[in-house]
Amino acid sequence: MSTSIQVKNLSKTYEYFKKEAGLTGSLKSLFWREKLYNEALKGISFKIDEGELIGFLGPNGAGKTTTLKILSGILYPTSGEAVVLGYVPWKRSPEYQRQFSIVMGQKNQLWWDLPAQESFQLNKEIYEIDTKTYRNNLDELIELFEIKDILDIPVRKLSMGQRMKCELSAALLHSPRVLFLDEPTIGLDIISQEKIRHYISEYNKIKKTTVLLTSHYMRDVERLCGRVIVINNGIIVYDGSVQDLMNTYGKHKIIRLRLSKEYTENGLAKYGEILERDGLCVVLKTGKEDIAASTARILNELPVEDLSVEEIEIEEVIKKIFTG
Amino acid sequence: MKKYITLFHINWQNSLQYRFSLIVYIFGYSLYIGVLLYLWSAIYSEGQSVGNYTLSELTTYYLLQLMINSVIFSYVSWDVIENIKDGYFSNFLIKPIDYYFYWFTVNLSGKILEGLFIIIAVGIISIFFRGHLTFPGTSAALIYFLISVILGIVLSFEMDFCVGMITFWLTQVRTFKFMLQTIILFFAGAMLPLDLFPDFLVRISDFLPFRYLVYFPVSIYLGKINNPWPSFAILIVWILVFYGISRVLLLRGIKRYEAVGI
Amino acid sequence: MKQLAYNIFRKIKRYLHLYRVFLSQNLKEDMIYRSNFITLAVMDIGFVSVSVILFKIIFTHVTSIAGWTFHQSIILIGSVGIIREMAYLTFRRGFLELGNHIRKGTFDTFMVRPIAPNIHLAFRHISISESFGEAITGVVLVIYGILHLNNWTWVSIPLYIIFLLNSLFVYYGFSLLINSIVFWVIKTQELNTIVYFFMETSRYPGDIYRGVGKFIFTFIIPIGIIATVPASVLTGRTSWSSALIALFVGISFLTTGILVWRKSIEHYSSASG
Repeated sequence: MSTSIQVKNLSKTYEYFKKEAGLTGSLKSLFWREKLYNEALKGISFKIDEGELIGFLGPNGAGKTTTLKILSGILYPTSGEAVVLGYVPWKRSPEYQRQFSIVMGQKNQLWWDLPAQESFQLNKEIYEIDTKTYRNNLDELIELFEIKDILDIPVRKLSMGQRMKCELSAALLHSPRVLFLDEPTIGLDIISQEKIRHYISEYNKIKKTTVLLTSHYMRDVERLCGRVIVINNGIIVYDGSVQDLMNTYGKHKIIRLRLSKEYTENGLAKYGEILERDGLCVVLKTGKEDIAASTARILNELPVEDLSVEEIEIEEVIKKIFTG
Repeated sequence: MKKYITLFHINWQNSLQYRFSLIVYIFGYSLYIGVLLYLWSAIYSEGQSVGNYTLSELTTYYLLQLMINSVIFSYVSWDVIENIKDGYFSNFLIKPIDYYFYWFTVNLSGKILEGLFIIIAVGIISIFFRGHLTFPGTSAALIYFLISVILGIVLSFEMDFCVGMITFWLTQVRTFKFMLQTIILFFAGAMLPLDLFPDFLVRISDFLPFRYLVYFPVSIYLGKINNPWPSFAILIVWILVFYGISRVLLLRGIKRYEAVGI
Repeated sequence: MKQLAYNIFRKIKRYLHLYRVFLSQNLKEDMIYRSNFITLAVMDIGFVSVSVILFKIIFTHVTSIAGWTFHQSIILIGSVGIIREMAYLTFRRGFLELGNHIRKGTFDTFMVRPIAPNIHLAFRHISISESFGEAITGVVLVIYGILHLNNWTWVSIPLYIIFLLNSLFVYYGFSLLINSIVFWVIKTQELNTIVYFFMETSRYPGDIYRGVGKFIFTFIIPIGIIATVPASVLTGRTSWSSALIALFVGISFLTTGILVWRKSIEHYSSASG
């Protein structure tokens, strides 16, 4: 199994200017501004083999997008090395560009007013795909992503889920060996999210394309990836199998309750660990396996006005990784 | 009243972000004046003259015209059009703020800021092009000039606001605005001093309010108008007329907005 | 050496092919907004008419501008229109959209594909509708001007076209230089105004410049030659030296523009967030 992506001690620091509030602040800024630094990446290292489907997980601002941008050549690192498919990404050589693809959720690469079909045609020319290969790939992708009926509709008329399917297809026309996905399911409804995850997983299985996917949804990673890299504040805090991560930290769910009557801590304790209590609002943590039973018990035995079940926050998991 | 003063300040903060603009202003204006100077010099050196303008008067005319473009001409209609088209206008309907005065304040604060920038830019340019420019002969001329500029800002705002109001009825308002812009610039004397025009065009321009945006203030500055009071009177009438039209359009427009739900 | 020439030839062929493909896509897009076509054409004709009227008025007071007669000036105005139209058919709209792309983050798309970002940007926004009106009026004006000349030759037409192309390179190089600023200073409404003024002021005959001005407006901000030289070729006012200078300016602006642009993208990729 050959190495697809190799990253060593990658660091990236951004400069930005601090602006003071108010009118005097604005006037001052005409002449002099204080320069501040934001260390987005602090020396991260990892290795990814060909054909792996890796999840890159972390809260907002953790450094995920920065990493992807560096690996796709959009950004230069401040220090450190990165090699993808034997190329240094920020040299942006056309040979490298023809072998990878990046899709950024919410940023359209398709032409807005024309049907997706036209944008595909354009990609064929840009990536110099020969007609036979193009036809084969296109047919494959149409079938896999189930986009046969929407190819002729202007992109702006498609729903977000349909658009994402087309974006992904467009990105895969040239059979890239590496696929970078930045928050591909963001903004989509639950069903579309599931579908997109399914397509990506299938594609990776069939084509053995290396896929690096970023997300701040635990579920994305849970369903898709064998291995996950967790990043927080520019540092990698976990690099290992999803299974292990789930077993250790992902075993819980959060239940938010609004009761009609106040209850004591003791009275609530048997339903789960109390995370917050504010008057009639209570937040509990319980095990995932018996969530149905727990919820049923709570609804039966407590005077519940409102109840919702949530995923454990990624921040929780990360906090745990630091402390636990 | 206080909310308008705050608005004034916030708008200044917004505009001050553009520190780069100041450099571009000075640089750009200087170059433009340079080009025009060459153009008119070439013409005058052949023993020709343009109307009853001396070379320096003509150059000054264009320098002033350029500045007036930024200081007098109102551009708020672009924001108004966007407001209405994307529905943001609804926010104004639910708040206790008058739409007309909101934009009046925003416009005025913007123009005063521009004015300050321009005074700096002009100061620098005037030093460079010292020998080639005309300055007001009397202090009275300067005062009248300033008054005409302020009145011009008001008139331009009102007309611009009216154009913005048309968005309630016309979808292709931007295209309309482009075409109108050219006509306005033409008859304001922004492209060529109005007294150079052939007679029939001069008569048309006298009839329209646009001459008060460029030609009138600049002529005062150049000392070509000894008694501006009759013109001031007509200018004030135009200001009142357009205020009335603005108010009527705003009222009707709101009714239509609420009915159609643009 | 031969390999290098072959590579360049292949590259040009590929880009010409890409141009055709992008042109057809942009045309399809333009067609969706059919009404715009006509309105824009009408507006363009309107603007040009105003320019012509202004020149006519000036010429009621004077008989020549630095030696240029009214009809020669008409050819000048027409040439500016033609150059502008060529620009819209290639790169102009792309640069106008550059600011939006950077703000929305979509410029990154241009950096990850195997086409040079400046070409990708240009081709992505080829605008047919915006150039239509100016093209027609430009050609009409030039023909009108020629018909009133008494010393033109057929030979001057292909030369005219060559120098129009050269001026397009000058315009492109200049646009690259100015627009590269976007990568250093993010807020940039003024940039487009600068480029706009560039073409506006090139309507004045280059012969009005003397001394320092002549140098500045020939080599640094070449408004003195961009429309003047092709028009001179047609009106028989040109000389070998001005033609050579124009070609020199064309090549230098093109190369400098591309170099500065590349450097600016490098800066963008090390600084951007």
